[in-house]
Amino acid sequence: MERKLTAELWDKMHYLFRDFNDRMVHVELNYDFVLDVEALKTVIICAFEKVPVLHSKFVDKKLSTYWKVMPYNIEDVLTVEYPDDMSSAVENFLTQYIPPESHIQMKFALFIKDGKSTLCMIENHMCMDGGDLKYFLQSFCQNYTKYVENGVSPIEYRTGSRAYTDVYSGFSQMESGVAQRLFKNINARDNHKFPLTKNNIRDASFIARKKFNEEILAKLKAKGKEMGATVNEMLLAAYFYSVYELANFPASDQVMISSAIDLRRHMDTVEDKGFTNHTAWMQCAIPERGRDIFETVQYVVRSSNRFKKDKFMGLYGLPLLNFGYSILPHAASEEIIKIGYSNPYMAMSNIGIIKGETLSLCGNEPADAFMSGAVKYKPFVLLTATTYKNVITLSMCVRGNDKDKEIVEQFFDLMEKNIKTLTNE
Amino acid sequence: MNFIDYIEESCKNIEDNHISYIFKKKLLDEMTARANEITGAGLRDEKVIADLLADEFPNIEKQYKEFEKAEKKKSRGRFWRIILALGGVLYFFAIFATYFFVSGTTGEWGKTWLIIVGGIFSMIIFYVSFLIKKLYHWHRFLHPLARVLLAGCVMLASVFAFLFVLTMFDPGISWIIVILGVMAMLIADLLFAFVTKQKFRTISLFVYMPVLATMLYIVLAGSGVITWLAGWPIIFVGFAVDFIIALTIAASNAKYFMYKQEGDE
Repeated sequence: MERKLTAELWDKMHYLFRDFNDRMVHVELNYDFVLDVEALKTVIICAFEKVPVLHSKFVDKKLSTYWKVMPYNIEDVLTVEYPDDMSSAVENFLTQYIPPESHIQMKFALFIKDGKSTLCMIENHMCMDGGDLKYFLQSFCQNYTKYVENGVSPIEYRTGSRAYTDVYSGFSQMESGVAQRLFKNINARDNHKFPLTKNNIRDASFIARKKFNEEILAKLKAKGKEMGATVNEMLLAAYFYSVYELANFPASDQVMISSAIDLRRHMDTVEDKGFTNHTAWMQCAIPERGRDIFETVQYVVRSSNRFKKDKFMGLYGLPLLNFGYSILPHAASEEIIKIGYSNPYMAMSNIGIIKGETLSLCGNEPADAFMSGAVKYKPFVLLTATTYKNVITLSMCVRGNDKDKEIVEQFFDLMEKNIKTLTNE
Repeated sequence: MNFIDYIEESCKNIEDNHISYIFKKKLLDEMTARANEITGAGLRDEKVIADLLADEFPNIEKQYKEFEKAEKKKSRGRFWRIILALGGVLYFFAIFATYFFVSGTTGEWGKTWLIIVGGIFSMIIFYVSFLIKKLYHWHRFLHPLARVLLAGCVMLASVFAFLFVLTMFDPGISWIIVILGVMAMLIADLLFAFVTKQKFRTISLFVYMPVLATMLYIVLAGSGVITWLAGWPIIFVGFAVDFIIALTIAASNAKYFMYKQEGDE
């Protein structure tokens, strides 16, 4: 029995992003115990059955697009290994790519070593964004625990609409009317680029990470409070300042970094909605570098406040995109949208706090947890921030070479230096 | 895996008849196929499979009511298709029988051919209207074809009206009917667009209004109701209507714009 699912607006948009990134979202959870492999298989199959887009292939017929639900086997989804070198096994798994034409859109790997487990997962961003992935993982872990401890069938997942129009559900009729008339294209082009090397056929995906301990986070919070800035804004300011230094941008240049915002803030509830994408970009621009990083923070706060005051933050351009996709056959729509869409060269996504208790399996919280956005293709970069047990992890996934790795490491060193300046260390 | 007990338990309030048997059989086939799919994926825990399927087929009684309704509609449809097919053949013969009868009794062989033309045209319109309905429900990509067919039906009706007036009365201005036919075609298309909420229906309205006004001017002046010289401002009525519609849309959007402006301040 053939089953088809509608390709929603964000599915198509992320499909269009194929020129900019590999669309894979990465997760790594480290547990100090060995997971039950058979139970894990059952929980994964149930997750796939409840969220059929995860075992669907994206069909692009040029005139229209849709998801076709496909048969699969758990052996294709879950890899169980006992590696000698855990970090390279994890890196190899996380940097792989799932094409949208694949029968499955999510893969798991369980690496077991010395009585410890590392559960890794990669997922096609077309299916869901970081916000829903956190929720998915939470349901996944709860289901695993209930199944192993009490034999409860692991089938509790959110199901429902994946339509982009759900973002208007929290508005009054008047507000919804306003939001659905926001045809303005707010894409602003900025030609400042992260100074990576030129593209080369030998480039390979890598994930660079940098951790900042709980002491730094506490100081960042305190300093941010003093300056009227959130931790996100402090990190963004450090990002700005570091990139000015790294790329030698003239201090008087206006530079823009886009920051991902979760559009679920506009929704009344997500409980009856399916897993999908509801993320837009907030374009944070500073007029100049600033005399010191503290002035950069002020510029960032000023720019960010302009967005925060807007009730319809992030909703600009959605009706235009929908219009673009609905007037013409898909292939033609894509070409037209590409003309008006400008992908940010530098972006940041703060996935936020990962709560250990929500990812606990049978009472065992992860010793460490990490999530990261897609591998960007040069010259595009995305800095992802996650916080677990008060430790901030910054990561950057790039398809590049050893020189690019060095540049990203250098960037992280500058970030560290500037964060220390911010926290008066 | 056996789902018969689950189906029987869920269908205990449903009367045993042919339709309920077909429904249960279909449901059993679907559940078994889904169970095979899930087992093929690698799931071995039978309790989990049963719970997953119970979750996928939750309200069987409600499903049955929909199935029963669809089945009854299908059998009614089958009946009407037979009636339509037989009726079409009988109607076709009736047209010719009427033609020969009326022609024979009145001797007006030069005019009675209208019976054949009118009869065949109305038969085409009748069957094409079913096709239009089908096309509309099939896929939105077929809506333009449905609109073309609707226009064709209106044109056939107006051609017959033209031929009828020309043959029976010949007032010398029968050509006006052709223009009226085109007007009717545009109006029918607009009605279709608005009733079925087609995209760009407002743009159709903007385009059609000046065309309709111009045709109205030709009809009124051509039929002598107004003079050609005095009537030309009617053409601008179309543009005026467009302007009023544009103003109405702008006013409707303005309230949202004002709300946004107030919010921004």
